[in-house]
Parts: sequence; C-alpha cells; structure tokens
Amino acid sequence: MELLSNLALGFTTAATLFNLSYCFVGVFLGTFIGVLPGVGPLAAVAMLLPVSFYLPPVTALVMLAGVYYGAEYGGSIASILLNIPGTPSASVTCLDGYPMAREGRAGVALFATAIASFFGGIVGVTVMVLLAPALAAFALLFGPAEYFSVMVLSLVAASVVSTSGALRGLNMVCLGILLGTVGIDINSGVTRFTGGVQELRDGVSLVVVAMGLFGISEVMVSARGATRSYATETFSLHHFLPTVAEWVSSIGPAIRGSAVGSFFGTLPGTGQTVASFVGYAVEKRVSRNRDNFGKGAIEGVVVPESANNAAAQTAFIPTLTLGIPGSTTMALMLGALMIHGITPGPRLIAEHPHLFWGLVVSFLFGNLFLLILNIPLINLWVRLLRVPHYFLYPTVVVLICVGVYSIDNSIFDIWMTLFFGVIGYLLRLFRFEPAPLLIGFVLGPMMEEFFRRAMLLSRGDPMVFLERPGSAALLGAAAILLVAAVVPIKSLLAGAGFRRPAHADEHE
Amino acid sequence: MTSQIGPLLMLGAGLGFAIAAVATLDPGSARRMGPGAFPLLVGAALTLLAAITLVRNLRAPMDWHRPDPLAVLAVLGGAVAFAFFTPLLGVLPAAVLSVLATSSVVREFRWPWKFVLAFSVAAGVWLVFIAGLGIPLTAIRGL
Repeated sequence: MELLSNLALGFTTAATLFNLSYCFVGVFLGTFIGVLPGVGPLAAVAMLLPVSFYLPPVTALVMLAGVYYGAEYGGSIASILLNIPGTPSASVTCLDGYPMAREGRAGVALFATAIASFFGGIVGVTVMVLLAPALAAFALLFGPAEYFSVMVLSLVAASVVSTSGALRGLNMVCLGILLGTVGIDINSGVTRFTGGVQELRDGVSLVVVAMGLFGISEVMVSARGATRSYATETFSLHHFLPTVAEWVSSIGPAIRGSAVGSFFGTLPGTGQTVASFVGYAVEKRVSRNRDNFGKGAIEGVVVPESANNAAAQTAFIPTLTLGIPGSTTMALMLGALMIHGITPGPRLIAEHPHLFWGLVVSFLFGNLFLLILNIPLINLWVRLLRVPHYFLYPTVVVLICVGVYSIDNSIFDIWMTLFFGVIGYLLRLFRFEPAPLLIGFVLGPMMEEFFRRAMLLSRGDPMVFLERPGSAALLGAAAILLVAAVVPIKSLLAGAGFRRPAHADEHE
Repeated sequence: MTSQIGPLLMLGAGLGFAIAAVATLDPGSARRMGPGAFPLLVGAALTLLAAITLVRNLRAPMDWHRPDPLAVLAVLGGAVAFAFFTPLLGVLPAAVLSVLATSSVVREFRWPWKFVLAFSVAAGVWLVFIAGLGIPLTAIRGL
C-alpha cells in the first residue's frame, strides 16, 4: 500500500503541466541529440545544466533525465538507417537494424525499436520502484568507511570500462579527484591550489569542467570531420508493422533484453553499452533464430534496444540511493542535484519523496512521449539526418558559451571552459578518455570527506577500511575488477593450455 | 616519441599536485588529517600510475590521433569572439560573431548560409535564454 501512495505522490508531482512540458522538451531534445551522430547525450546534458539551475529541482531532473533516455531512443535511428550509431550503446543495433533497412524493412526495424525501447524502459522503471527503496534502507547501515569503499569501487569500475584501458582510466580518475580539491577545504577553511585566483576559491565549477571536456573538445574533434549530410539514400518507410510471427518471436528477446539491461544498469561503471552488448550475446546463444543474427533478424534489434533502455532507467538506482553515479552522465545528474542543494544518498527517498517518486513517474510519461514521438515523427528524424552536419558545430559553440556565461554572468568562466576544452582535446589526442575524470571530479570531494571522517573515527588507523566487513567486501570487489582488467587473462589462459571458443571474440 | 607526451603530462600533473600539497598545505596527523593529506595521497597515486603508463607506453607506444589545427582554431575563435564581444556589445551580437568565426573554416559553408545560421542562432538564444527562461543577460548593449 505504501508503494501505491508513493506512486500517487509521484503522479501528482509529475503530472503537472509544467513538469510534463519539461519532460517532453527533455525527451524531444534527447531524441534529437541521439539521432545526430557526433553529439552524445553527455554533451547535451552538460549543455542543459546551466538552464536547469533556473528550474525547480524536480523539473530540472525530469528534463535532464528525459534528455538522457531520449538519446537512447534516438541513437538507434541513425544506427538502423545509416549504420552509424548515434550513441555508443546503439552500435549493437546496427548489426541487425541496418541489414533490415537494406532489405527495405527500415520502417519495421524502427517500429520494433520504439516498442522494444518502451518495453525495456517500463521494465527498468519497475525494477527501480521495487529495488531503490530497499537498497536505500540497506545503505543506511553504511558508515564513512563503507561510503569511501563504495566510491573506490565505482571509480575503479568507471576506469575499467574506459575505452583507452583501465590504467589510463585510473590516471584520469586521479586527475579528476585532484581537480576537485581546488578551492576552499571545507574542514579547515584553507584555500588549496587556487594560485591566488579569486574566482577559484569556490572550486572549479562542474559546468565549466563538463562543458569544456565534453562540449568544446568534442566539437574540436569533429568540427571538420563531416562536411556532408549523412543521409543520402532514401528509405522505404511505408511498412511499419511487423508480422504476427515477428511479434510473437520478439516477446522472449524483449524480456531477456530488459532483464540483462536492468541488471547491468545498476552496476557502477557498466551502463547501457555493456548491457546491449551482453544482451545481444546472450540472445545469440539462446535464440532459435540465431542463424539469422547479423542478417536482419528482428530479435537482433529488439534485444539491444530493450536492454539499453532498461539500463538507462536502472542506472538511476545507485545514483539516487547511494549517491554513486554509474556513468558520466549520471555524475552530471548528481552534480545537478548537489547544485540544487540536494545530497543524493540513502536519505534522499525519505527526505525528498516528491523528487524521487516524481522522477520515477516522469519516466513513465517520458517513455510514453517517446513512443508517440518516434512512430509518427520518424520522417522528421530522417530529414534531420539530411541537414548538412556543419550547421551544428557553430551552434553548439554558442550554446556552450551562453550556457556557461548565464550562470554567473562571468567571462572568466568562459575562459576556464576554453581551458578545459583544450585540455580535453589534448587528452583525447593522446588517448586519455576524459569521461572517468568527470566521475572522479564529482566523487572526489565526497570521497575526501568520508576518508577523513573514517580515519577520525578509527583514531588514525587505516585498517578500518579492511576491518569492517562491508568496506572490505567492497574494496575486495574493486581489487578483483582491477586485477581482471589489468592482468591479461587471455594470455594466462593460453599459457595454461585453455583455448577460447572461436566466437567469443566477436564482440570485443 | 610524441605519444609519450600524454603520460608525461599526467606525470607532471601528479607531481605538481603532490609537491604543491607538501609545500603549501598542512598534512595534519593520521587521526586529524589536514587539508594537504588527501591531495598528497592522490597526487602520489597519480604520479605512480602515470609512471607505469609511461613505462608501458615506451614498450608498446599507443598511437595518437593527428590534431586538426584548423578545427581547434575555429572553435577557439568562436569562443574567444563570444568572450571578447559579450561585455562590449551584448550577448546577441557576440553570438552572431561567434557563429561566423567558428564556421569560417568549413569551405563548403557558403556565406549567405553562415549569416542565416548566425542570425537564427542569435534569435534562438534570445528566445530560449532571455525570453523563455528569463535569465538576466544583456541582449544588446546600449539598447
């Protein structure tokens, strides 16, 4: 019964015209960004952060979340039509979506995507409703040592999945934590690493770091890459409805995809891309239609789409209940909450019930909007792909500048954004992926706080992190993850006489 | 050789933070940590990690991406134009100039279209930020 009254509270929060319209704006922008290859949901959420300061916290979060999961929907459109994933997690959808489009069944693939995404999203929301309050109740038992260790685990997880390798990812995490120490130390009031610059006393702003690393440097990387529009072919979009047999054969994959997605979404550091890859790999083993995978099987579209949308929803569970972001985009959401003065953690659901339940219910509305947006508007998105790409970049640069400037009317912030843009560009040139840096930057100050508190409580004994069972288990998990990523398991197995099955390498 | 610059930059950053923490901040004791302790620990960790990265990269250098100086200049030009002209002229003229600056490097982009884009972006900024969200920005200085 409590669940029902909570959902009712969420409904009254989310179903106001104001929140619904921002939810719509969010999912619409998200789809737009997702469709366009090159600009990811991360850059979009970063660009909307300053705007969100002018909204009430619930509305801000509803909108930012809409951008995030809306981009998952949009990302598959470019995958199916052009074989170019609009978002990384949509790359699996290319495998069967593009062959379907080439057979003249693009409409069916897009329809299946929309339905599968909707289904995955709803499953994800359901898991969140059931799991989040339980996890929050459990996390109330955490002391500072456990919090510190869970942060270590999530930072290690974020570096391990970094595309440039675990070692480089860890470098970036440390750099991010160090950047987070700039400014006044809240315990002692001492200023750290500001070099006498007044504007840095309050620390480096999250918006500045995010916009520089993911906005400016992203534009620098891709500004001159694409001078033509992407879509040059025409697609047959007359037939949308799958056959009865396809409906029936999609039910199992949709359920399995959503289950895999819901699971991976909750793990720190993995997120939608891993979810869709694993979902596809699982389905390829169990499906009766496995021989057609990669040749335009509808199951091959349904699975990754239901998985990545389920993961997009369940990723909010650790973010909101523990205050631990599973991905970089989640780190930005966390930052947005903290700027509004809300500390995410186990008490969030109890202290701000309208925020949590309002957000949950807004997911239902958002997924419904996406379903409505996607089916009739497919032609609009296709036309968008025909617009020359170079219109986009000057617009993005101005939006970043105006966004940063609007926070404090400060030109200094624009210079700082440019500085981080150049840093981000250099890091990318030398193959250091900037995403883990941002997670380190957001978690760093909290980590220091919990570290110092734990040390104070243990009277200066660092063994406290290993003596408390919860903390030890979390650190152990981090260590296992790290060893698995750093030690080349393949060569160990090869040395021990094991041979990997031939098809195991396909998705690496 | 160039691919070593990345790990070297990391090494520099780690050492820089660690040394600055030792030189300027109080580390405190293990029980009551001062403001310098945590940055020193993390700075040392980064130095160690960067050193390992450097050694591994010396053995098997990771290829690096070729830079595109024109693209960097264009983006810098656009942002600098905005930062420079906003206090002088206001946000909207600065937005127009910024679009013109950024788009100058794409050869396929015809001039009339650049102006169309520049003025549409300025109109969009006014509509969303100033009219829509009511953010107190100076649209056009002196108006």
